[in-house]
Amino acid sequence: MWWVGKIVVLNYFRTNVWNLTTVIISLLLLWPIASLIVLSFGDSQGLWKHLVEHVMFKYVTTTLTLMVGVLALALLFGITTAWIVTNYDFPLKKYVDLILILPAACPGYLVAYAYTDFFEYAGPIQGILRNVMGWSNASEYYFPEIRSVAGAIFVLASVLYPYIYLLVRTAFSLTPTSLLEVSSIYGRSKFWNVSLPIARPAIAASSALVCMEVVSDFGTVEYFSLETLTLGIFNVWIGMNNITAASQIAIFTFLFIILLLLVETRSRSEKRFHDTSRHQSRLYTKEISMAKRLGLILLCSIPVLCGFFIPISILISNINQFFNFKDLTTIIPILLNTMLVASLGSIIIVSIATFLACTTAAKGNKKLQSFVNLSTMGYAFPGTMLAIGVLIMAGVVDRSLNNNYFFSYLSTKPIFVSGTLSVLLFAYLVRFLAVGYSANLSGLSKISANLNWASRTLSTSFSNTITHVSIPLIKKSIIAGGLLAFVDITKELPMTLLLRPFNFETLATHTYQFAHDELMAKAALPALIIILFGLIPVIFLNNILKK
Amino acid sequence: MVAQDFKIINNKYNFCVVFCMVFFLILPVRTIASELNIYSHRQPFLINPFLEAFTKKTGIKTNVVYSTKGLAQRLKAEGQNTPADVILTVDIGRLQVYADLKLLAEINSDKLYKNIPSHLRSSDKTWVGLSKRSRIIVVSKSRIKPASISRIEDLANPIWKNKICTRPGSHVYNRALMASMIAAKGIDEATKWAKGLVKNLARRPQGNDRAQVKAIYEGQCDIAIINNYYYGKLKYSDDPKQRKWAEELSLIFPNQDKDDRGAHINISGGGIAKYSKNKKNAVKLLEFLSEEASQKLYGTINFEYPVNPKVKPTKILQDWGTFREDKLPIQRIAEFSLDAQKIIDVVGW
Repeated sequence: MWWVGKIVVLNYFRTNVWNLTTVIISLLLLWPIASLIVLSFGDSQGLWKHLVEHVMFKYVTTTLTLMVGVLALALLFGITTAWIVTNYDFPLKKYVDLILILPAACPGYLVAYAYTDFFEYAGPIQGILRNVMGWSNASEYYFPEIRSVAGAIFVLASVLYPYIYLLVRTAFSLTPTSLLEVSSIYGRSKFWNVSLPIARPAIAASSALVCMEVVSDFGTVEYFSLETLTLGIFNVWIGMNNITAASQIAIFTFLFIILLLLVETRSRSEKRFHDTSRHQSRLYTKEISMAKRLGLILLCSIPVLCGFFIPISILISNINQFFNFKDLTTIIPILLNTMLVASLGSIIIVSIATFLACTTAAKGNKKLQSFVNLSTMGYAFPGTMLAIGVLIMAGVVDRSLNNNYFFSYLSTKPIFVSGTLSVLLFAYLVRFLAVGYSANLSGLSKISANLNWASRTLSTSFSNTITHVSIPLIKKSIIAGGLLAFVDITKELPMTLLLRPFNFETLATHTYQFAHDELMAKAALPALIIILFGLIPVIFLNNILKK
Repeated sequence: MVAQDFKIINNKYNFCVVFCMVFFLILPVRTIASELNIYSHRQPFLINPFLEAFTKKTGIKTNVVYSTKGLAQRLKAEGQNTPADVILTVDIGRLQVYADLKLLAEINSDKLYKNIPSHLRSSDKTWVGLSKRSRIIVVSKSRIKPASISRIEDLANPIWKNKICTRPGSHVYNRALMASMIAAKGIDEATKWAKGLVKNLARRPQGNDRAQVKAIYEGQCDIAIINNYYYGKLKYSDDPKQRKWAEELSLIFPNQDKDDRGAHINISGGGIAKYSKNKKNAVKLLEFLSEEASQKLYGTINFEYPVNPKVKPTKILQDWGTFREDKLPIQRIAEFSLDAQKIIDVVGW
């Protein structure tokens, strides 16, 4: 009767093969985070009393202020511009639409470096002001300090708003015309009563990304010396030589972010946002006067100026002064390295993200989906902490590789994964999966589950439904996610710095060694190349989302 | 239907997924090589000239990973399988972290111990200092008389209210300075000093040492604490603007009175990974760095002082004036690091 058992086991395996694979992948992704949790169970040597008494309150309030501030400003920038671009006709609209996403290619920390030179007391702006007004020193006038919470809000919002703009613009442009017509008939606001509620999933998803970026940011807050939780983690870890307490703060921050996201997901859990009617292309864009048109162009150009053109011109002016042809030739191999990790990394991220999204969201498996959601949370950790989690994991893998008879059978020499590109790519996957995954989800949320059911009713297998119905329908979102991940990897610094193989430089690490020493002149050229290089996928992205 | 689930490579999408999984399995793995592998907290553009000279002399190829943070955790996680041989850091605090985690091997080299005085290396032979930097006071030439400040303690004097700029207290260099205060005066006195200093700050602590000099030049403050080599970097910068900032400064080596303790110094240093497979060459590199040629190179590349007593500082460094250093065993600085950070948190430096 052994074959009965065999059939039962095989059948179980067959029907659950997708779920099983999903669970295994998620567990692998959660491993580094679990390592950090284990690390945080150590002895914190009574540091918490000191931390709570003296610094914790400051860390939490600064982080919250920063997060709320950046989110508010980024929403203002992103939603306003998205609304203008989708609802009004004005000259150069095509270009305005394109340049609005350019700041996505700028890493926050580089923009912070540039603006500090520009706005601080010794910078050109205050210099000109002093010349014009005849002031002679700082005590004679007030000028807002760029190295402050407000400065960081300005810098981070200027580079992060494209996340919101991209997703919200797409949502606005897909608002069913029928709904807009109804609202017009009843004299209701198209924006407040129709488009904004319809765009809510897009707003929520992009806001979540922005929040996580802010909480995990280290470059900008370190440069501005802002005492956020992330900076606190490093003070405790490096300053007090206590990685246990540091990982406890990291976990605490992580839980806080999860809580925020849960609240948001719950609050819209019962609502459905996809549209079952046939899409009609939007025909109505408002006719407005020439003066108003110019006004709109100006309005749209504010965030782009802040997040792209001004910092870029500061960088270019730095390069002009110290251009050296030799610097350019040393950068070529570094550029190739960056290209290698960014393209491999984004392909891996997109494939895994799509797989996970299809086996959970497309299948409507709620329980599995919350589990997978959890495994995409690497985004909320400061890069360096996550890198430590990955290091611990790689160490364990190495030990088992070399203790295990089976594996040592495969190779005559001992082999290791830690310190290789594989580990770095895995770390990118853990950190940026959220980018690819949320793009998938927002794509899936717009297609009706009825389509999948229809396909399944026609006796098509799940895998065929996914590959022939779901994936083609959300192809744009998938590619968009991949391109965003590509840009993110190009900009990524702390994990690359710590996990890279020997003698392996990327543009970000190469820039960092100079920028860390505030050698803006030397850092400017590689910094500019990071941005220009990041522009390529960003422009692709724009074309894809618009088609 | 069920059977179709099994046909995994039935189209390009699934192929992509499978490709990735296979990719992870076949991707670069590392085997042991005979080259010398270095984990460095020092920037590549500062360490490369030394390594090139070393390779030229010995024919041993070197590989570097540079990171400001986390390399100790990397070494720890890798355990016995680590490829790393040599660790190089730019301050005593980070060096001691490796020692505390028991990641360093005992270094056996008479040559090394002859070249490096005992207060600049660990008592258990796990690490050695390779260059010295002094934390000095710089003041505006035009606004402050250098004679009015002679000790680091003077910076807490209320007459300097709104005159002082520093980088954040929790930076390793300031933390080490704080630790040296604790070693000299005890925790209470050191806290009092730090409170006074913070009250005198002209602005919220920010930027690095270079930025403090800039602030003096622009008149935001008159006094700053910096590492001596920043002065050199600015004075001999490619950028004429930065050279102007340096011209505005007078240097003060603090605590130089006959019965005073001398100016606080920090070291850049190195050690050998406990599980290095290449210890002989690792020792060779450290020895090479302590020899006359390299010791001079520290001065020319980065305006640092030699640790080897037989080697004189470079001409440029001598021109800035000679000074007496605090002979406190450098290891003590690391021991007080935690207390120092606590004080920094309490006073909000």
